[in-house]
Amino acid sequence: MIEIRDFSFRYREGREPAVRDVSLSIPDGCFVGVTGPAGSGKSTLTYAVNGIIPHCYPGDFYGAVTVDGLDTVEASLTDVSRLVGSVCQDIDSQMVNAVVEDEILYGLENFAVPRDEIPARVDEALSSMGIADLRDRTIDSLSGGQKQKVAVASVIALKPRVLVLDEPTAELDPASSVAVFELLARYAREHGTTVIVVEQKIALLSDYADLLVIVDDGAIRYAGAPDEVLAHSEELLALGVNCPRSTTLMNALARRGLYDGPAVRNVAQAAAACKEVLA
Amino acid sequence: MAKFLEYVPGDSLLHRMSPAAKLVGAVLFAVACFVNSNLVFLLVMLVIALALAASCGLGRQTAGLCKAVLGFSVILAVVLVLTTPAGTPLVPLPWGYIGTGSLLAALTVIVRLMAAAIPLFLVFYVTRMSDITNAAVKQLHVPYKYAFTFTSTVHFIPVFMNDMAGIMEAQTARGVAFDGSLPKKIRLMVPLCVPLLVSSVRKTNSTAIAAEVRGFNLRTRESGYKDYPLAARDVAALGLCVALLGAAIALTALGA
Repeated sequence: MIEIRDFSFRYREGREPAVRDVSLSIPDGCFVGVTGPAGSGKSTLTYAVNGIIPHCYPGDFYGAVTVDGLDTVEASLTDVSRLVGSVCQDIDSQMVNAVVEDEILYGLENFAVPRDEIPARVDEALSSMGIADLRDRTIDSLSGGQKQKVAVASVIALKPRVLVLDEPTAELDPASSVAVFELLARYAREHGTTVIVVEQKIALLSDYADLLVIVDDGAIRYAGAPDEVLAHSEELLALGVNCPRSTTLMNALARRGLYDGPAVRNVAQAAAACKEVLA
Repeated sequence: MAKFLEYVPGDSLLHRMSPAAKLVGAVLFAVACFVNSNLVFLLVMLVIALALAASCGLGRQTAGLCKAVLGFSVILAVVLVLTTPAGTPLVPLPWGYIGTGSLLAALTVIVRLMAAAIPLFLVFYVTRMSDITNAAVKQLHVPYKYAFTFTSTVHFIPVFMNDMAGIMEAQTARGVAFDGSLPKKIRLMVPLCVPLLVSSVRKTNSTAIAAEVRGFNLRTRESGYKDYPLAARDVAALGLCVALLGAAIALTALGA
């Protein structure tokens, strides 16, 4: 679905490339989690997928990024947006209307979705995100978690093939973060949507991602299934990525020859693994 | 509590009217206030405007607006009183005098500004901003980019005010005392405009990108989903506003 080949990008005002020599192949329907230290190039990588780079932030672009065969450099930002729905990091800035229903309608109106399809699309987007009761509420009156769900709903109403979200849970408490990921994962499963999420909470990403990508200093250090990537918890810590304590503990046991199973992601898995070893 | 220019839900006649009719009606009403200087006519217009506000339960917001307009128009009134020597002299001045005509002119300015402003502000309180924008684009043929710019400006006013409050709180926590006289407060606030400007530019850029990736450039006059057909009440209201404008022009022509 998404092919990134030898991609490097240097912002016009930057001296060093923000991303260098990145190659990645993302299959259709894959849930991808991207994480890494602050300033490592995570957002730049997603900007290349949704066309914001180079259409909104000019600079030196090398390599190629294609989404469903569409070159994100050669195509206009509007054409890329027909395939890729984007949710920005700053949710307040993403909202262009004052009322939830109008915010959902905005993209549908712009992309000239047939009038008879619009009511069903709005209903589906709102119910997919579990916010049907917020339809007539003003954006200002919503909590951070509710705004996040509205932002996602306004994008999934357009039925994009790919959904790109930049730190969607940055301002949310743990329970709301899990709720947003739960809804996202369910939606992606039901609609076969490819999802790319940039997120600092690696434990959360590991629970939902099919493919976990660790970015550091503009390059991909690790990319694979969460279990494979989490097996490198020591190296990740050196990069500034903190793995869950249960993962670190079980990896330490594995290094001492006390555990030989796959990397665990949470306490429940660690407890189960310990019971198995002790049995 | 509703913020400045924020929609107040309701079911009054004004709430139910077409946004385009409300907008055009309010403009015609304001024009009528400006083409005629007859104080009695302007007082009638003010009473009509206040009755409109009362009919949709916006007395408190209108009182606040009148207070703000009064503050501004009093400055103009003082200038007029001091620079328009007319009527029977009451107070001699080195450059002329203050007369009954001066006071009448000042009073006319105050009443005119209030009467003209109330319906225009009422439009925003009884209509959702998106409906105003969509109706202006669809029915009044206003280019969408201009309508979007206006909507975004109003949308960002409270956002930037919050940002400024946050910056001031951060400075207060670091020992800056904003209490005291107005000139001192202004002097302390001026340097804070730089971080406010930086965050404003960043936010508006993010909004522009967010709008663009949701098809902003594809928007046409026909894009809007909602329709705003003119009902009999809209036609009647517009007719009334045209009649008021006609009366204002006729009174002016007759020298009244």
